[in-house]
Amino acid sequence: MKNICLPAVFCLITSVLYAQNPVSPARFTLQGRAVDTLAAPLAESTVMLLSAKDSSLVNFTRASSNGSFAFKNVKSGNYVLKISFVGFIPYNEVIKPATDAVMDLGDLKMKPITRELFEVVVRTAKAPLTIRGDTIEYNASSFKVPPGSTVEDLLRKLPGVQVDQDGNIKAQGQDVKRVTVDGKNFFGNDPKQATKNLQAEAITKVQVFNDKSEQAKLTGIDDGKKEKTVNLELKEEFKKGGFGKITAAAGPASNKVSPRAEVKASYNKFNAKHQFSLVGLGNNTNQQGLSRDDYQDFRGSNAYNANNNADFGFSNNYFYFSDSGDEGLGIPVSGRQGVGFSKNAAGGANYNFDTKEKKWSGSYYYNQTRLQLDARRLSDFTLPQSQYTKDEASNQTNFNGNHRVSLRYEQQLDTMRTLVFINNSRYGIGNAFLLRNQNLTRSNGAITNNRSTNASDQRQFASSNSLIYRIKMHKKGRSFAVSGTYEVNTNNATLNLDSYNTYSGPITQADKSPDIHQDQKNDIVRSEYKASLQYVEPFAKRFFWETFFNFSLRNDEVNRDVFNRGDSRYVRNDTLSLYYKNNYIYNRLGSSVRYSYKGLNVSAGLASQRFTLNGEYQSYQPGQINRVFSTLIPNVNINYDLKKNRYLYGGYSVNVQIPTSRDLQPIINNTNPLYVNVGNPDLLPQLSHNVNAGFQYFNPGSFMNLYVGLNAAKYVNQIVYSQNTDAQTLVTVIRPENLSGGSNYGSYIGFGFPLKKTKATLDLNGNFNIGDNPTRINGVLNATRSQSYYTGARLSLTPVEWLTFYGNANLGFNYTQFSINPDRNQNFTNNNYGGELTLKLPHDLYINTSMNYRVSKNALLNFDQRIPLWNASVYHILGKAKRAEIRLTAVDMLNRNVAVSLNQGANYTQSETIQTLARYFTVGFTYNMRGVKASMRRESY
Amino acid sequence: MKKLVILFGLLLSIVANAQNTEGVATYVRKEHWIKITNRLTFLSQEQKDREAQTWKNWEEDNKGIKMKLTFTPNESLYTYLSDEPEEGGYSWRKSDFFVYRNFEKDKKNDIIEMLGKTYIVEDSLHAPIWKIGDQIKEVAGYICMKAETEDPIKKQKIVAWFAQDIPIPAGPEMLNSLPGLILELDVNDGDVVIEATNVAFKKITPDDLKLPKQKGKKMNDAGYNTLLKEQIAESMTAHRNPFGWSRIRY
Repeated sequence: MKNICLPAVFCLITSVLYAQNPVSPARFTLQGRAVDTLAAPLAESTVMLLSAKDSSLVNFTRASSNGSFAFKNVKSGNYVLKISFVGFIPYNEVIKPATDAVMDLGDLKMKPITRELFEVVVRTAKAPLTIRGDTIEYNASSFKVPPGSTVEDLLRKLPGVQVDQDGNIKAQGQDVKRVTVDGKNFFGNDPKQATKNLQAEAITKVQVFNDKSEQAKLTGIDDGKKEKTVNLELKEEFKKGGFGKITAAAGPASNKVSPRAEVKASYNKFNAKHQFSLVGLGNNTNQQGLSRDDYQDFRGSNAYNANNNADFGFSNNYFYFSDSGDEGLGIPVSGRQGVGFSKNAAGGANYNFDTKEKKWSGSYYYNQTRLQLDARRLSDFTLPQSQYTKDEASNQTNFNGNHRVSLRYEQQLDTMRTLVFINNSRYGIGNAFLLRNQNLTRSNGAITNNRSTNASDQRQFASSNSLIYRIKMHKKGRSFAVSGTYEVNTNNATLNLDSYNTYSGPITQADKSPDIHQDQKNDIVRSEYKASLQYVEPFAKRFFWETFFNFSLRNDEVNRDVFNRGDSRYVRNDTLSLYYKNNYIYNRLGSSVRYSYKGLNVSAGLASQRFTLNGEYQSYQPGQINRVFSTLIPNVNINYDLKKNRYLYGGYSVNVQIPTSRDLQPIINNTNPLYVNVGNPDLLPQLSHNVNAGFQYFNPGSFMNLYVGLNAAKYVNQIVYSQNTDAQTLVTVIRPENLSGGSNYGSYIGFGFPLKKTKATLDLNGNFNIGDNPTRINGVLNATRSQSYYTGARLSLTPVEWLTFYGNANLGFNYTQFSINPDRNQNFTNNNYGGELTLKLPHDLYINTSMNYRVSKNALLNFDQRIPLWNASVYHILGKAKRAEIRLTAVDMLNRNVAVSLNQGANYTQSETIQTLARYFTVGFTYNMRGVKASMRRESY
Repeated sequence: MKKLVILFGLLLSIVANAQNTEGVATYVRKEHWIKITNRLTFLSQEQKDREAQTWKNWEEDNKGIKMKLTFTPNESLYTYLSDEPEEGGYSWRKSDFFVYRNFEKDKKNDIIEMLGKTYIVEDSLHAPIWKIGDQIKEVAGYICMKAETEDPIKKQKIVAWFAQDIPIPAGPEMLNSLPGLILELDVNDGDVVIEATNVAFKKITPDDLKLPKQKGKKMNDAGYNTLLKEQIAESMTAHRNPFGWSRIRY
């Protein structure tokens, strides 16, 4: 009522603005008046002139206070006049070409929408209500019914629809004579059949309208009778699906290699709430485990989860992804080609149930690998006054089988509170047989030859259980979280060890060490209880204050029995046997402040940490340990999101690395009698001061990218492995200890740019790393400085749809200096050159071939290996639906594959050569229900 | 006497005008990346299903980004609601995005940062061709009618719901020129949904509608459309999603 004249004013403005028709002679004025059924004006109604052809909007105006409206200068033609007014059924009238200059439609009566329908459907249910002439359409999803309800239950919920006890339906007061499904009759003429049998979940829309009687439809004579009809529109189940995939390949024995075969199959079934999947694989082609894609397909919505981290505070990991291989609790994901000769099998099932309130996930996965490894290792050791070389040849057969179960439950208790429970468990069995032959050659030519066999057997169980509870407070940004974790690890292992030494050259009695025949039994139980608290307070605009507390109690219990075999006696070895028990208590309390605004996030914090170790052990020299270690750890972090896709980050942190159980337990591990590992119960946590900074840039317009990074670390109480080599027997005892003064500096740079947009891209990268690591070698402090420089280039050519080429060159250079003996400084290089070509030929035929050339050199070891690897495959995608593929594969056609690696340690460099599956051929077949796609390009979308 | 009444009514309406035809509408813009990824023609069905099955819970948790539309009967300005950090406390930089419309002068002036550059688009309005439907529904307390159009460059089906009783031709994103204020936009059957959460009528000063001073590449609609067309074609050839963060706004 207030803006009584506004419509007229507005109408003037808008008609000037929106009259899109230039002045021309054949024009007319269209006018009329919007009124209700009692002829009262509907002031301010929206009046629209639509093109009759496609109902596109030509012009619009508002009716004046008395409901009248006028379109002036309307071009002659066919139109639809549409008037809308809140609470009334939109009025539609077809306008034929005008005969007079003014066409007056007079009073146009609009019918009100029933109040109930309007208020309940539109206002309350917020359901779009479609009105098409007589038809009123309800959106079924807007009316909530419990799961499992029938359509009858749904109809009861619809305003204007009544269903009596017998299931008879009335709509707008009239009996419903007919119920159709997608316009078709459902089980004859009884409307109750459809409404009682169909699930409400399957329905997307309910339409109520007056239809001609069946009689009229049959005879084609409209008897004027109308029957109330309800039509149910079924959902298009686009979210529901199932698919499977199988790939099988086999090849004949050739060239000392037995027949090869591989098979991998998966099946998935899902709808909006459920995901179910099965996966299985088996091969003797060194394919260990699932690829990243296989893993995603298998775990579905549980592949990556946020909110899984129960340890709050600094260095929060938002992602929890296990890639720690067979030792980890998570499903191992690699997709890498293994070394040696392995037979692999794996299989599992996964089920996820996801709704907004509750999310369930459970999976079981089993994998096993039998690995045959023949290795040759050449090493060059530097001692303070001398040096020696080692030539080791070993062959071993390992078997590992792991059962993994993982459970996760997340519940949204209400809009503020979330509860997460996570369980990951593994039960592993393994056995191994190792035969090793080592020759240690002194500079004077005296040689110790050691032959040893290890037969071992172990059973491991590990389980981690976490409960995380998070509350968001009413104040925006304020939150609280608490978590509890229980972890348990058990390991029962036996080892039968036999070691014999023979000697040659100018050897003395003192150079000899005894033979060993032992049975060893280890029982280890480790349990850990953890709790964490976190509180975040937004104490000022753009400022957040976070406080956290972590507590952990760990109990280790080790029982190790070693027996000496031989001389027909079976005697307990008191030096190596041990009973050991200790507790580690860890407390951390910290606080940090963060500022966040416009892409700038800065945080600074400080935590205090206390680590207590209490232990007692029974062995040849019983003892007790009581140690307390406290430290303050600062943390500073900057992330700056700059304009034009530039991103800057940097930080300073102190990382505390708690010694592993293996390093702490005072066990004497003589698995390799020439290199004995001894634990150190006095070990303190390692501290490192870390500084890092970086810059990133990506231009999605030009596809150019640049990234640069720097990092530096300085260690306090670094855990290093000091060595004591008996100058005469050459038996080395390796023992972890804390040493300060080590440091590490590194930098990387990458730059990628298109040589020709979408057709050719060049990526360049480089990095260097300088590490200074102190160790004690025979009591003398040895500073090992290792420098490594890597540079690489990658060329991607994608000139046409039918050809892609990727070429790369990577050059690596390592230089190692030992302070105890500068004459022994050495360097080695690892260079790699590769190319991959994919061609698409007519008739869905593809060719893929790759060549890789690897050069590994170490002058001091006189080592120079150049290995070319040439693979190729030809494949054909079959059928119209492209669901099948047949493929011929040739791996290592030059038959040159061996696994070679060069590395260095505290006082040695080493080359390792492992005999690995070389040339073989297979014929493979793939069937994929979703279609096979040839991968021409390396994709990152 | 009659004239006096009309004159009085006219005065009253000017006052009312300020109250009912200018103000700020707040929207939430939600992008459904699984649906958008599913439209990438270079992906196989297997890759599309994998994306959808892996990330569905993450997408459900997406709370969207808040936008605001400041409007008067003749002008409107659409941009981000605020630069304050989101609920998690972490702040991401938002690319510059300002859409100014002048319905009286038939003019537009947009500042759009994308593809590593800032573009300033100036031209006349070039209103889309709207088709008016027969559906009504409620958005943010207003009864809205349905209108449909198509984006000729991005090939998107666009459904707009405009309020019958807010006679302002403004709307969110780059869409406007309907008989009422657009309170909801649905791009490509739910790929992106922009829904009003609140409409607050208040007096708007010229400062509220002022564009920030920005340097950038100036162009008209034709130039901008060509740029989008080329970039979309190039990205699809290079098997990259043309849409997304710092790329083209979907």
